[in-house]
Amino acid sequence: MSAPLLQLHAIAFGPEGAPVLEGIELALDGGHFMGIVGPNGAGKSTLLSIMAGLTAARSGTIELFGERLTRFNRRCLLADVGVLNQLHDRTPRLPLSVFDVVAMGLRDYAAPLWRPLGGEAAIKATLDEVGLSHLEKHDFRRLSGGQRQRVRLARALVRRPRLLLLDEPSAALDAASQEQLYLLLRRLADEQQLAIVMVEHDIAAITSHVDSVACLNVRIHHHAQRGEEIPEQVWRDMYGDHIQIVAHDAGCIGCGGKGHAR
Amino acid sequence: MIAELDAFLASETIRAALPPTLLIATVTSGISVMVLAHRLSFLTVGVSHALLAGVGVAVTFALPLLPTAAASGVLVALLLTPSKGREGLDEDAGTGMLFAGAMALGIVLISAANRYDVDLFGLLFGNILTIAEEDLRALYWLGGTILAGLMFAARAWWLIAFDDTAAAATGLPVALYRMLLYSVVALTVVLCVKLAGAVLTTGLLVLPAACAWFWGRSLRALWLLSLLFSLVGSLVGLFVSYMQDWPSGATVVLALCLIFILSWGVSWLTQSVRKRALPAASPASSDSATT
Repeated sequence: MSAPLLQLHAIAFGPEGAPVLEGIELALDGGHFMGIVGPNGAGKSTLLSIMAGLTAARSGTIELFGERLTRFNRRCLLADVGVLNQLHDRTPRLPLSVFDVVAMGLRDYAAPLWRPLGGEAAIKATLDEVGLSHLEKHDFRRLSGGQRQRVRLARALVRRPRLLLLDEPSAALDAASQEQLYLLLRRLADEQQLAIVMVEHDIAAITSHVDSVACLNVRIHHHAQRGEEIPEQVWRDMYGDHIQIVAHDAGCIGCGGKGHAR
Repeated sequence: MIAELDAFLASETIRAALPPTLLIATVTSGISVMVLAHRLSFLTVGVSHALLAGVGVAVTFALPLLPTAAASGVLVALLLTPSKGREGLDEDAGTGMLFAGAMALGIVLISAANRYDVDLFGLLFGNILTIAEEDLRALYWLGGTILAGLMFAARAWWLIAFDDTAAAATGLPVALYRMLLYSVVALTVVLCVKLAGAVLTTGLLVLPAACAWFWGRSLRALWLLSLLFSLVGSLVGLFVSYMQDWPSGATVVLALCLIFILSWGVSWLTQSVRKRALPAASPASSDSATT
């Protein structure tokens, strides 16, 4: 069997007395769509940032595409990773068309100007994929929050990554666009064998789309595969005793047909 | 008007001043797009005043003027480059302190040196009309270096200005590119001082792109428009300064200010006309000006 696309081994972060992350073990294959859930301050975004090579872990190793991530091969390995970082509330300042924003995701975008950029076909195809072809020439600053988020996703996808990391991609979206986004991600995982890691705080919204859910609060308390039940004790460990279990549709991960924590 | 233009172009002084002025206009148009994108106008103010300290040091220790000034500008810019993990002094307060401190040092050093051959007025307000042959060569070198830097890193700087986290996530060495940008901006300030002086340099480095900001929708469009505004502003400014016998640097900056106000007005007008034409249009469906 070939090595997994992404493998984390014994990742720890933060001071030893009060770790932010500890003992994280994860492995991910192509076509696998994983959700990471957990309460605020659980270290979700930090973990994603470590996977993206943006933050150095205190200890532990990251393997991307079968190769250990170091300072020296970082740029080469990250070329195959698409990242959608958390959307900060500020409106974008630079006057740019949607087309140009997506172009920024091309692999050699930052190359010197004497190297022509190209990639027009890839940009158009990606915009088509996220359903925004008709907005190609529009001013990015004038789009709605949901449209902007889809453009940013297109920017992450235009380089045809093998691994996609998303930090709360649905934060600015209403329920319908959220559902649309998850369906798109599901399709990308199935059709292009893209491996996806998505951090979300709302487990109810993602469970029917993802292949597995990792419950994170400093440690990974549980990593549930599709159709598996997450024990109630895991929820209590993660969120404390203040949770209530509510009835939910039977097909999702973690519910086991009984109920589900929110 | 035609006769005046002829006299303007026939003048020996103007003939000598035109090439460096156009070079400065070309270089600043590109850099000003980055200055606006990265919000560096205060840095240009800080560096231009810090140059005075460089001049003071050069005068005191009998060092070559332009290289010393350039080195002091780059040093100050690098001191102000934001970096991860360095907290405490923010850019705003840092620039403010360096700005006053370096200027004070420059004034003390220059007056203590008791030299009267330093053209302090020229340094503060610029004078492109009295440019010496050796200065000209230095200007061409400097301008060429800055343009090369711009060609090398323009898209990377643009990417970082748009979203630095995403830029870092593609493996781009963001901190290194930032240091390069700050240094190149500092060198551009040195280049501009000859035309506009320490006090007015910021105008040359902010106004061209600020005029273009209303119309461009891509890096290329912004750059080209900024170049156009910058060249027009410099030529008109130089012409008016020749006709009215006004100081050249200040007149160029005034001409750029005028273009900015016109650009702003026209953009405001077209927007309100468009809004009236499409009263119920949602922000996403109203078509925007694409260039």
